Amino acid sequence: MLMGDVEPRPLRLGKKQFPPEQRLVMAIVNRTPDSFYRPGDTWDTGAALERVHAAVAEGADILDVGGVPAKPGPEVTVAEEIRRVVPFVAAVRAAYPDLVISADTWRHEPARAVCEAGADLLNDTWSGWDPRLADVAAESGAGLVCSHVGTLTPRTRPFRPVFTDVMADVTDRVLGLAERAVQAGVDPARIVIDPAHDFGKNTWHSLELTRRLGELTATGWPVLLSASRKDFVGETLGAPVEDRLAGTLAVTAVGAWLGARIFRAHDVRATRQALDMVAAIRGDLPPASAVRGLA
Amino acid sequence: MIVSAALCPSPPLLASELTGRADILPDLKAACAAAISHLLAATPDVIAVAGAGADTATWDPSDRLDLSAYAPLAEARGKPGLPLALGIGALLLDEAGYAGPRILQAVDESAPTADCLRLGRDLAAEAPRMALLAVGDGSTRRGPAAPGYLDERAIPFDDAVRQAVRDGDMAALAWLDPDLARDLMATGRAAWQVLAGAFAGARPTTEISYAADPFGVAYLVATLT
Repeated sequence: MLMGDVEPRPLRLGKKQFPPEQRLVMAIVNRTPDSFYRPGDTWDTGAALERVHAAVAEGADILDVGGVPAKPGPEVTVAEEIRRVVPFVAAVRAAYPDLVISADTWRHEPARAVCEAGADLLNDTWSGWDPRLADVAAESGAGLVCSHVGTLTPRTRPFRPVFTDVMADVTDRVLGLAERAVQAGVDPARIVIDPAHDFGKNTWHSLELTRRLGELTATGWPVLLSASRKDFVGETLGAPVEDRLAGTLAVTAVGAWLGARIFRAHDVRATRQALDMVAAIRGDLPPASAVRGLA
Repeated sequence: MIVSAALCPSPPLLASELTGRADILPDLKAACAAAISHLLAATPDVIAVAGAGADTATWDPSDRLDLSAYAPLAEARGKPGLPLALGIGALLLDEAGYAGPRILQAVDESAPTADCLRLGRDLAAEAPRMALLAVGDGSTRRGPAAPGYLDERAIPFDDAVRQAVRDGDMAALAWLDPDLARDLMATGRAAWQVLAGAFAGARPTTEISYAADPFGVAYLVATLT
């Protein structure tokens, strides 16, 4: 499945087209009472809308709205997921007609409803567990994130995962899903791939994926890096979830240098700054202002 | 003879490609653009740009500032070694859309005053209708935050230059002390004395449109007729 380096593909999300050198911040807005970082922080609709306003003001390009935590826990039915996410996405869409809205979901029923409410991208963190998700993306004109979870099923934790070559496994899986999505009729310019750090992986695996992320970006597909405050950062630094920002930004910077294009983040402003710094180092973005030594 | 002249400063930040996404000192840029318009309004045969360099030498009129020396990612399309003042002068003429004949005249930054005055007289005789753009800066030592740190002689020096320009007093410009100017990192001294030579004892009418030190370097924009 591995190909030689190819030109970065165009990326279209919602009404917008993004060039390869533009690095996008995907702000996390959880409509859950029990996600791993600041649980329940945006469970209240008013608080969630405030988070949206703040994220946009801080430079978010994409919102990622989720109604079901990744970790195991009390069942969230389809109807409950729809109740948590769909009216909220409709409200955000009304407030921000052009903002790219992503829905973090793995089931086709909520996916269809949220696309009807205005979502532009389906962030399928559970790696095509529901094959009809691609059909929903195709029907609605939405984009699709193709991810890797190894052998996991939704909302389960890794138990002694092994890979002969984790990057090869990831690449095979995400490219296979991308191909399947294209065949299902999803616009290829709206397909994103995600190695999904921590999902079905131990910390060593996630570090390896970070180190070798350039192999994934070399496929030409836009790569989503979702590392914000995750356990591999925490284990690497011996840091609790509240103290993982610096580690997250280090992963962000390395990922950006290696060509990732979307960065899913809790900390929008810090992520935006880290990405702008990398962009300036690479020469993709001039400094905000340069006067030192030039006066 | 000289039909019009102007003074402009030479900070690299006048090249917009060097300053990032911000528009730095738009008022200074506007004053420089207006000063060039003043030169062009006199419909000169030739515009001479005079500015300090390592040697007194004439550069090819097609030479431009090598921006990549300041910002390595900038397109390397200029002339390596072209003195900054000449590069900035050429840039200002280009931005004004001037495509007519030009002379890019470097003057040794440490040239004695007499040499500068003589060079000015020679430039004035180059064509019946000459315009002169003298490019250079005042002191660089106007305060603790200035690039050259504080030298208490800086402000009186710059005041004297401004007074001389305001009064059209070319003799006062000719009196500027090259050693003091060097100490104060005032790169404009040699070019201003070329200007004084070009007017050959006349007392031009002048107008100062910008005199400030937003980053600790004295910038002066003026027109002379």
